[in-house]
Amino acid sequence: MTAGTLTSVTAERLGDASPQLLAPGGTQWAKVSETTVSLAPTPLDAQPSAYVQTSWAGRPYGALASVGLSAVVAGDALYLRLRWAAAEPRQAISDNDTYADACAVLFPLDGKTAELATMGDERSPVQGWHWRAGTALPFVITATGLGTVSRVPDHPVSVGAAWENGSWSVAFKRGLSEQGVPLTAGASVPLGIAVWSGANSERAGLKAHTPAWLTLTLPK
Amino acid sequence: MATVSSRPARQLAMVFDLNKCLGCQSCSIACKTLWTDAPGMESMWWNIVNTMPGGGTPRDVFSHGGGYKNGEPVPGTFPPLREFGEAWGFDQEATFASGGKAAFRPLERDGSSPEWGPNWDEDMGGGQYPNSYFFYLQQICANCSKPACLEACPRTGLYRREEDGIILIDEERCHGYRFCAEACPYKRIYFNPGRAVAQKCIACYPRLEAGVAPACVRQCPGRVRHVDYMDNLEGHPYKLVHEWKVALPLRPDFGTEPNVFYVPPLAPPAFNEAGEFDETKPRIPDEYLREMFGPGVERALETIQVEREKSARGEPSELIDILIARDWNDLLGPFTANPAELDRPPRGG
Repeated sequence: MTAGTLTSVTAERLGDASPQLLAPGGTQWAKVSETTVSLAPTPLDAQPSAYVQTSWAGRPYGALASVGLSAVVAGDALYLRLRWAAAEPRQAISDNDTYADACAVLFPLDGKTAELATMGDERSPVQGWHWRAGTALPFVITATGLGTVSRVPDHPVSVGAAWENGSWSVAFKRGLSEQGVPLTAGASVPLGIAVWSGANSERAGLKAHTPAWLTLTLPK
Repeated sequence: MATVSSRPARQLAMVFDLNKCLGCQSCSIACKTLWTDAPGMESMWWNIVNTMPGGGTPRDVFSHGGGYKNGEPVPGTFPPLREFGEAWGFDQEATFASGGKAAFRPLERDGSSPEWGPNWDEDMGGGQYPNSYFFYLQQICANCSKPACLEACPRTGLYRREEDGIILIDEERCHGYRFCAEACPYKRIYFNPGRAVAQKCIACYPRLEAGVAPACVRQCPGRVRHVDYMDNLEGHPYKLVHEWKVALPLRPDFGTEPNVFYVPPLAPPAFNEAGEFDETKPRIPDEYLREMFGPGVERALETIQVEREKSARGEPSELIDILIARDWNDLLGPFTANPAELDRPPRGG
């Protein structure tokens, strides 16, 4: 793991034409460097619900301090792996009052600019890849502001997840040329990360996130 | 941050007469077979009838927070499934293997014995013999005018229909966060674990659109339920709520302004030690009724008593006529169409 906190990450190119990178704990990921990305709780006063603001006042959330980020381009696809400590994993929604662990990566929809704190706006939407424990497929979401997240019905993103030794590892995959955020070899794209702790009933806007965009650069 | 949801053009309202309910659960079964027999909905009872005083559904139903106090949202909880009651199986093999001697035991999914369920404390009620008492309380979504559920959702996953004020969950928008279920003080929202969405009573809106009364209203053999738009000044809800003031909101202290109203239970007086009626002491404690139905309950009961006595003397009483509902269709407001006579596409076609 790279020491310190970085705000830019360059994806590594992996020569393997048929990588097994959706096995996020697999040996191939061991060769890939990992960047520690700092997280912070989302601001409570930005939650778009008076109920949520009132019921979570004085109640900690988003306490996860950092997440490990690894990025690889292999074949014609980008793989992003997130790894974080979860001592009490919530691997599925098992009851009315239980919530599953989750994570997401977010980009400006045009790959260039959007407001992260508001999750985009009407003119500059954002798009995210969202994994929730217990589901085999990720959600691809778009948003034009807080509370506007909608799911894209058909999308090319896939995901693999594993919980081992007190940590979640979640790998997303998307073909560079496939539909969605432009992912161009040699170019950079702003990237945000969010993690929800199911054990703490975190969901919706209650999460740990990157307060500012990182920069993800794809190899040429 | 304040969230204010606008009032609809019309508001559907219902009145349930607690003096007529038999506790037969025909309403519950009508709803269950119509709307909640799909996978993931096994434990849902969008309509439920519970004995009161009692724990209700879920257990200790009115103690889980939600609603509003002084206009501010009150934090709530969403009790686990066991507190609502799972869809039990039964220990049939043990019973058969014992030659029928072993008790036929209900079993939770994990094999344990249930500790709560719908109307769990049926007919237990309150008070001490000979002054014991109970009544049945029917609950559905009350389509509140100040809906805590709708206002709690951070992503507008619920909406209110302009044409009748019915509140619906948009299952495309619902992401299963369950703030709505926490915020509903009546705990009338359920969670479908398979689809990870919240689900609740929809006031049978597809029936209403076809001129048919909700299934729980139409199937009630006790003629307990009255339905109409509140702006129909000749309709039963308007007359019972605003003219006669005998139909009251449940737990008005929750601050959500529900649109289901209740004619409170009129019980005989308490017995004294000599076994005679003591006209100065109510069988059902006033403070309990005030907690349940607000400060208007004593006046409402007085009005019902006076009109009942008038009727007993052979004098006319509009109120008693409404409550008796000699013509069944009078209960149904504008929704008198017979579902069996509707033109509908054949099933499975």
